[in-house]
Amino acid sequence: MSPLDKKLWRDLRRVKGQAAAIGLVIALGVMMQVMMSGLVHSLQETRAEYYERYRLADIFAPVLRAPNSVTPQLAAIEGVSRVETRVTGMVLIDIPSRDLPVMGRAISLPPGGDPGLNAIYMSTGRMFDAAHPEEIVLLDSFAEANGLKAGDNLVATINGAQRQYRIVGTARSPEYLYTTAPGELVPDDARFGVIWMNRDALAAAYDMVGAFSEALFAINRDATQASVLQEIDRVLKPYGGGGAYGLEDQYSNRFVSEEMSGLEVSASGVPPFFLAVAAFLLYIVISRMVQAEREEIGLMKAFGYRNREVGWHYMKMVLVIAIGGAIAGCLIGIGTGRAMINLYTMYFKFPFLVFVLDPTSFVSGVSVSILSASIGGLFVMRRIFRMAPADAMRPPAPADYSAAGQIGAWFAKYLDQPSRMVLRRVTRQPGRMMGAVLGIAAGMALTLSMITIYAGFERTLDLTFTVVDRSDVTVGFARPVGEDAIFALRRIPGVEVVEPTRAVGAVLRNGRFSHQGAVTGLTVAPELIRAIDSDYSTIEMPESGIVLAKELADLLDIKPGEMLAVEVMGGRQPVVDVPVVAIAQSLLGAPAYMGMEALNRALGEPGLASGAYLKIDKAFEQEIFAALRDMPMIAGVSLKSEMRTAFETLMNQGAGATRYVMGLVAFIITFGIVYNAARVAQAERARDLASLRVIGFHRGETAFVLLGELAVVTLLALPVGSMIGHYMSFAVAEGFSTELYQIPSLFLPESHGYSALVVIAAALFSGWLVKRDLDRADITTALKTRE
Amino acid sequence: MKISSVPRNPNLAFRAKGLTKVYGEGRTAVHALRGVDMEIPKGEIVVLLGPSGSGKSTLLNILGGLDRPTEGTAHFTDQCLTDMDDSALTLYRRNHVGFVFQFYNLMPSLTAEENVELVTEIARNPMDAGKALSLVGLGERRHHFPAQLSGGEQQRVAIARAVAKQPEVLFCDEPTGALDSTTGRAVLRVLRDVNDRLGTTILIVTHAAATAAMADRVIHFADGGIREISTNKTRLDPEELVW
Repeated sequence: MSPLDKKLWRDLRRVKGQAAAIGLVIALGVMMQVMMSGLVHSLQETRAEYYERYRLADIFAPVLRAPNSVTPQLAAIEGVSRVETRVTGMVLIDIPSRDLPVMGRAISLPPGGDPGLNAIYMSTGRMFDAAHPEEIVLLDSFAEANGLKAGDNLVATINGAQRQYRIVGTARSPEYLYTTAPGELVPDDARFGVIWMNRDALAAAYDMVGAFSEALFAINRDATQASVLQEIDRVLKPYGGGGAYGLEDQYSNRFVSEEMSGLEVSASGVPPFFLAVAAFLLYIVISRMVQAEREEIGLMKAFGYRNREVGWHYMKMVLVIAIGGAIAGCLIGIGTGRAMINLYTMYFKFPFLVFVLDPTSFVSGVSVSILSASIGGLFVMRRIFRMAPADAMRPPAPADYSAAGQIGAWFAKYLDQPSRMVLRRVTRQPGRMMGAVLGIAAGMALTLSMITIYAGFERTLDLTFTVVDRSDVTVGFARPVGEDAIFALRRIPGVEVVEPTRAVGAVLRNGRFSHQGAVTGLTVAPELIRAIDSDYSTIEMPESGIVLAKELADLLDIKPGEMLAVEVMGGRQPVVDVPVVAIAQSLLGAPAYMGMEALNRALGEPGLASGAYLKIDKAFEQEIFAALRDMPMIAGVSLKSEMRTAFETLMNQGAGATRYVMGLVAFIITFGIVYNAARVAQAERARDLASLRVIGFHRGETAFVLLGELAVVTLLALPVGSMIGHYMSFAVAEGFSTELYQIPSLFLPESHGYSALVVIAAALFSGWLVKRDLDRADITTALKTRE
Repeated sequence: MKISSVPRNPNLAFRAKGLTKVYGEGRTAVHALRGVDMEIPKGEIVVLLGPSGSGKSTLLNILGGLDRPTEGTAHFTDQCLTDMDDSALTLYRRNHVGFVFQFYNLMPSLTAEENVELVTEIARNPMDAGKALSLVGLGERRHHFPAQLSGGEQQRVAIARAVAKQPEVLFCDEPTGALDSTTGRAVLRVLRDVNDRLGTTILIVTHAAATAAMADRVIHFADGGIREISTNKTRLDPEELVW
């Protein structure tokens, strides 16, 4: 090892504390990048692998009743590589622990249990035996959520007939990663079940012997999906088909895709801020550190070393810190990424995990670190190289404060000399101070935007479940019902308000923009379920016309006053043109509202409701549930408290979960920045501080000069950080919003207050650490140490 | 008490007995002072001469309350420095001692006058900052910042800062080390004036043997101990010094 390299290692050991602090900050910046992109890549790969291994269909074609003889015709469609038909239907499942039966879906499997498409993964127990029609396999997540297991009995109503079945196994399916109770947006494992059973048994129950009610298709890679869909619809139309759809519209897949794209947006949108802040800090600290080496640089030049050689020597020091930090970041990122992926694998219910890493995230993380550190180092070295070696070797001339001028007489009365030192240093080295202020402000901005996001999640929950929906219970009818059913609900003792709604699936079209969703018909002046404007006041439902959620209006690129085409997917499938009359605020889903009467008129079905919102007296809860249970027209009942919990779970375990990790990292980075700022200031002022001690200043008085500077810089950073954070939080909120829910960026004074407190706490703690070191410092050596 | 065990001589500024300073331990230990005994009378200019590493700066640091001996005692008049805790040493420096260093150690962010005021603000019986600067011939330049002053001027500000508190003792560690001979002589002149007018005891640590001629007493250091103490019957004026 050359003497220079030995020197390098010893220098690194000397600055190890600070090097570690810098390394940590950059490591965290890189870690975020590596962790998030690794997470997204792994989940995408795992999903793709899962779909492929279990042969998830490309196209789903529901039909009322088609004879099996149509199958060859379907197989012959150009582009189709495989067809699988099955019998499916709705079931009502009795769960002993619940007051109301839950909805579910029964799906047929061929006798061996291994279909050509949409295979299932047995997680416990065994496949049903074709010879025993009462044997079923239950969806794993549903079983778990309801405390059911292989060996238990299950009572279900299929096609009006209640029977007892025997659960022989539980399974996962790529088709049902997510399940949602009918009419709800947010998935809930407990309230939608899937039962697999032998085809013959199910066909008998549904009167489907020799027929099927759903066809599944795999298509060739080069096939055009649109034309295949068209062809399938043509073939199945006579049998009550016509609604074939692709995997991208399949409910569970759509939800998983949205969640993953939510994660992807957070992964690409949020970590760069962390990395940028870390890189900025690295630049500042490295440039100051090299500045402190000026005498040595002069000395080496005096020995005859070339600028290039001296430069490389110091660059190695800079690079060791930057690369060391970046590599640590990659390693921590892999570790945390793995841990998070395990959590998400459970959340997405993947039966296995394909762990992949994204090499570009390593490259970008490492190169950004190296670049910002090198720029910081080179910038300062260039200045030092311009000096004659002799000048560089001398202790630097006192910094020139002459431009500071005199402090006014009035001011002078109130300022003692130490305060003047603080004031002049802050005002007369604006570049340096600005760097420190910006660094701390950037740290605060990170923390602030994360705190703002937390508040945004709260707001989304609150707006959805206390402002928009003020009901206690939602009821869904098996088929649209008339006034008398609503009256029947009103007559149940304890039911205070009943508000009917009518919901239909529809495609909304504005020119080339379209959205497949639903239109909800509301009463004229709804109280329980409302469309609200930006002031949270109720939007009255118009005689005619449609109210769109802001997200939906943006998606369709439409403004109030313009006409929208609504293609209803129920009843006689009418297409109506309606004017957009108002824009509603919604943070969950993208609803469209119409007056119930207007919607029914368009459907040609006056006076019908598909569901109702109820406000109830909690004291009568049990009685009300019992009454609802006995009403044959009711297909499903949802409690708002359950829906809220499901939504909370979604936000805390889905794409939103990363916010906790990010918040923690933001806090650590903020602390690292403040601590570095304090350390750097201490190193720069060691000589002055020692002189003050020699003159006879007490420790506290001496520390004031240093900590006063830190205090001023911190206080200046607060408003700047507040401002940067405010804007940063818009971008971060965008990153956390998914297609299902939006996270608003709220301006809340308390968020700014909390983030300021974080910075102040970091400053106090750093100040304490630095002061402790100051107290320990030996004044005589401090006086002699080179700057 | 140690104080009573040492015979008191009201004319002495410092008494040291068996002062030893060891840096490090075991085989790597460095003996900076090896049992130094000495006395320094009040009001004298004392020059400590000796090669680098002979222990003169270490002695100055101990007497100045900046460092503690490994063994031995040191008294300033009747106060035992070696018994003082950190806070008492700070007060000792604040109230009785002035320092002048080779590299001035001025606060770059304060003007000449403010650098002096830095001390007068906390001293018990200070002189006016302006007067202290006039004493070193810098009355006109009191509003200048260190960066606007030459090396000699900066050192004179440092002296003004040191004497403004009217200390009993002034410690000067290589006060002319960074200066050319003309400027160096001017700085020594200021020290001499301070001694003449205020009766301040002055200890000067230097390599420059010629400086010895302006002292009342010269202490020669070698290998951590005192090799010789000599007294000058007549002191030369700083202007007469040659180096």
